[in-house]
Amino acid sequence: MFRQLSARFGSPVAMAIVTLLGMWLIIMVTLPQLQMIEYSLRPNLLPAQLGGPDDRLTVANYVTLFNNDIHRAIFLKTIWSSVLVTLLTLAVSYPLAWYLAKVATPRQAALCILLLIVPFWINEILRTYSWFILLAFRGPLNEVLLALGLIDRPIRFLSGDAGVMVGMVYAYILFMVFPLYNAIESLDGNQVRAARDLGAGTLRTHRRIVIPHAKPGIATGCIMVFMLAAGSYAVPALLGSPGSRWFTQIIYNWFFEGGNWNQGAAYAFLLLVLCIGFMSLVMKLFKVGLGDIAK
Amino acid sequence: MDGSVSLDQVVMRFGDFTAIERSSLEIHSGEFFSFLGPSGCGKTTLLNMVSGFLTPSEGQILIGGEPMAGVPVNRRPTAMIFQNLALFPLMSVYENIEFGLEVRGVNRRARREVSERLLSLVALEGSGDKQVAELSGGQKQRIAIARALAVEPRVLLLDEPLSALDLKLRQHMRAELKAIQRKTGITFIYITHDQGEALTMSDRVAVMSAGRIQQVADPMTLYREPQTGFVAAFVGENNRFEVSVAERDGERLTLDGGLLGRLQGRAVPGASDGLRVGDSAALFVRPEQLRLLGEGSSGPALEAEVEAVHFEGAWLMLETRLVASAERLRVQLSGEQARGAASRLTRGERVRLGFDPAEAVVLPNDGSPVVDEETGEVKEAANVPAA
Repeated sequence: MFRQLSARFGSPVAMAIVTLLGMWLIIMVTLPQLQMIEYSLRPNLLPAQLGGPDDRLTVANYVTLFNNDIHRAIFLKTIWSSVLVTLLTLAVSYPLAWYLAKVATPRQAALCILLLIVPFWINEILRTYSWFILLAFRGPLNEVLLALGLIDRPIRFLSGDAGVMVGMVYAYILFMVFPLYNAIESLDGNQVRAARDLGAGTLRTHRRIVIPHAKPGIATGCIMVFMLAAGSYAVPALLGSPGSRWFTQIIYNWFFEGGNWNQGAAYAFLLLVLCIGFMSLVMKLFKVGLGDIAK
Repeated sequence: MDGSVSLDQVVMRFGDFTAIERSSLEIHSGEFFSFLGPSGCGKTTLLNMVSGFLTPSEGQILIGGEPMAGVPVNRRPTAMIFQNLALFPLMSVYENIEFGLEVRGVNRRARREVSERLLSLVALEGSGDKQVAELSGGQKQRIAIARALAVEPRVLLLDEPLSALDLKLRQHMRAELKAIQRKTGITFIYITHDQGEALTMSDRVAVMSAGRIQQVADPMTLYREPQTGFVAAFVGENNRFEVSVAERDGERLTLDGGLLGRLQGRAVPGASDGLRVGDSAALFVRPEQLRLLGEGSSGPALEAEVEAVHFEGAWLMLETRLVASAERLRVQLSGEQARGAASRLTRGERVRLGFDPAEAVVLPNDGSPVVDEETGEVKEAANVPAA
């Protein structure tokens, strides 16, 4: 990389670029992470005990999760719910991406993309609160459903995970739509026409032609949405009920309410490992490499 | 298996633009039928209507006598070979060929039998496990044919499938396509802007221009008895003269060629029936119909100055300019004349040219066709004759 840069800009500039990049990676990414690993491997001690006999490396903080039934349950539920959010987002985004990429005229597509993006000009907290209002027990959604006669009495959308799910699908839909759109857009329209011409119906055309082609986009979208969902804090905090706590909330509590940074760091790393594990699994499942995703 | 196709009063409009003027046509079962015309003439639109990708604005299409209105693409007894072939790149050759059968729920073993048979039909035995990307251009072409034939279509639609191949391969594939058509007995509807392809392969050709079918005939008739000025100019090469009718004796016409004096030609039955003395007309003389006249010969002759001499091997192409009217005239000499002329003729030399009036056709003057400035190819008929 250095050689290419210096051939293009001369060695002083190349040196500066490489140094800045290196500093960025080391100071902003690597060092804080190492610091957190260090934290996670030490017990939570009073200042007086630091450097004392108890101040030694231990994996006790990691073991906590496996001994605490409630935390373990929340951890597993976070994984499961994030997978559900990912699948739900995929299900919602795929038809939309297909429409944008292959059905809509350029004008319609532009308008549709604008409509998708506009809400994101608003702060995430406010957006999430608006869902809170919409889904409230005496909120507009219940009013409409009641007025239409579809339900007899209002539904408590916000107890349980439903509210969190809806909020997350909404919050992360763009991260799914755009990779999918890019992938589907590059499909030669004649492929679809050929499949139709050979007798394939809509479902089979998608299953055999469009989805295999869009696989890298699907993998990218799924990985992004899963990571964002698993690491989300605002949505479960605002739309969740006490019964639907997210693992991130536990981490937050360790740091800022329990004052136990060591324990919090260990939990945060477990979540990171989980996300990396999920990512590798999805990549293996879809048979895509890192290069495909970076496209 | 009736693979006949009828267009019954078909019209296709896109907004204000009429892509296909009202057209009716019968394509016989088992025929190799071509639509020939410059790009933008509506031939691909016609193909898309037969395959079902487009619905005619008016009129109807029948395949094997059955109306196709309301029958979706995937239910029509047609298969299409796309210009870019549209093979499925993520599937093997087997999977590509068997796709249509898989859709129809044919079991694996029966599918494999069909694909093996088709692979041998297109002379690609043993390529079934290859990936599409491993195939050469000509091989891809054949796989596309095999894939389309696998669904046993009654009509095979081909949308300029050879245009991506290089010249040698294209010529080879022409013969192969024709052979496959003969072997399978399926109706082939072939779209092309390449008259060579249309003339060599087809049983019949429909020449199209500006959304209108100009003439439907076998290749020989098309070449010898063009019904419109566009067909005369587009199919093969032609020198065109604007003339007026001076005398008419059955099919033999004596013409007033203005600065060129008296010329003679032959009326085309049908198209030229209405030509009367005094009518404006167009005389078409093909380059190969012209020959050099010797010193002592008498009779009508065209005096021209040689501008360029192109040696083409089997023949000699002269670009000349008529002395009397300064019009360009292309002359193709072959055999004895070419051998004699090749050594003798040079730029600037004057020659006397003659042609047999029984070969040169006279058609009503429908304006000179629009010609591409760069390539010299005929693009469109001059004016649209009244319906």
